[in-house]
Amino acid sequence: MENSQKFITQHLNFYYGEFKALEDISITINQNQVSALIGPSGCGKSTFLRCLNRMNDLIPGIRVEGMIRLDGEDIYAPKVDVVNLRRRVGMVFQKPNPFPKTIFENVAYGLRVNGIKDKKALKQRVEKSLKQAALWDEVKDRINESALGLSGGQQQRLCIARALAVEPDVVLMDEPASALDPIATQKIEDLIHELKENFTIIIVTHNMQQAARVSDITAFFYMGKLIETGETETLFTRPSLQQTEDYITGRFG
Amino acid sequence: MERHFIKELDDLKMTILNMAALTRRALEKATHSYLNRDDKLAQAVIKGDKEINDLELQVDSISLKLLALEQPMAGDLRFIIGTTKISKELERIADQAVNIAERSLFLCQHPPLNHIPAMERLMEIADNMLDEAISSFVNENFKQAIKIRQMDDMADQATLEVLQTLIEYMVKSTPATEKRILNTRRSIQTIIISRCLERVGDLATNIGEHVAFIVEGVNIKHQKIDFDFS
Repeated sequence: MENSQKFITQHLNFYYGEFKALEDISITINQNQVSALIGPSGCGKSTFLRCLNRMNDLIPGIRVEGMIRLDGEDIYAPKVDVVNLRRRVGMVFQKPNPFPKTIFENVAYGLRVNGIKDKKALKQRVEKSLKQAALWDEVKDRINESALGLSGGQQQRLCIARALAVEPDVVLMDEPASALDPIATQKIEDLIHELKENFTIIIVTHNMQQAARVSDITAFFYMGKLIETGETETLFTRPSLQQTEDYITGRFG
Repeated sequence: MERHFIKELDDLKMTILNMAALTRRALEKATHSYLNRDDKLAQAVIKGDKEINDLELQVDSISLKLLALEQPMAGDLRFIIGTTKISKELERIADQAVNIAERSLFLCQHPPLNHIPAMERLMEIADNMLDEAISSFVNENFKQAIKIRQMDDMADQATLEVLQTLIEYMVKSTPATEKRILNTRRSIQTIIISRCLERVGDLATNIGEHVAFIVEGVNIKHQKIDFDFS
């Protein structure tokens, strides 16, 4: 179905200076699905993720070839407003990175940047986002306390709430649970299942079991190339390619 | 350096191969005890069953441990799941061997029935099916694995022939006299043997289906698919 395609990349090449980090990546990311990107360190999965909201633009000497379309529009076209692109395509990072402000202000930050000043509207949006991030019940009584007093897992869900507050279409997650303990990790994973009803999620993870647990589609990257992509259940029970089989069964190299 | 997990998978494979070898030998001994009216061989089959049962428990325990601790994926996962199922089939085949041996013990005590050619054919088919099933597992051979079920029709046919032969014989033995009652008793015991062998064929077919799952990840159970290898 045409309208279920969120991102389409075609023949995407990406260079850091002379180094070709991504080679000929063509993939379709569907709406309201969780797509997991897996592969060994340096395979290009994070680089690919950061191409999708042009986070890589901040690095000097990079070059992009090929096409990335979001809802059919080329996100590297000259007229594209990158700030608006990043509002539509939010991001959560490996290490929770709350601002040294109150819990409320962390979530309200993006809303204020986007020009929302009405206090009631702000309050409503902050509460909604914290609820979507499954954090509201834990913080509703200390919403004006510093975010830095939260646990690691709570901080990460706060960062997710902050990303959700500006109502993005897509949330990119780069190793969102790798710094968290198993209980906090499970909460993030449960949250990902909930969030896909309203958002399209693309997650990079080193943890193959995590990819297997949370995603609908898995893409296996190796040495800058997309080796195999398919339904997660199929990829983890009977992958098509020996290279994928060798990686997911730990027989690599 | 060899990975610990790979070594444990090899251990699992060795355990199931050991179980397969013992099961096949039990079936051979059971059929020989019938054909040669050898009660010692029959006793050996009954006594040897515990070892096979123990191996089944061992396979279950290794598999459970690997599933819990290693979170296997793809081919490894299929191998463990498939192996657990195969061990169950082998254990049931060994039980059929015991059942055959018990009938043999009864039959050894009485004069033999007339030679039944279909019974010998059935024994050979059942043994072949088990042999092919085990070797498809060893060779991870999909083609060989799914061909086993084609042999199952021959086993069913031979079983039917044994049954028909003995029903005719029992009908001729009526009205019942004391001697003729023994004819019926021997016939029924022999029919049970043929039924056991027919079950061995079914269970060997199941093993082939599990091997097909391990090798290609496809489930061919309860499906009449004819694979074209041309």
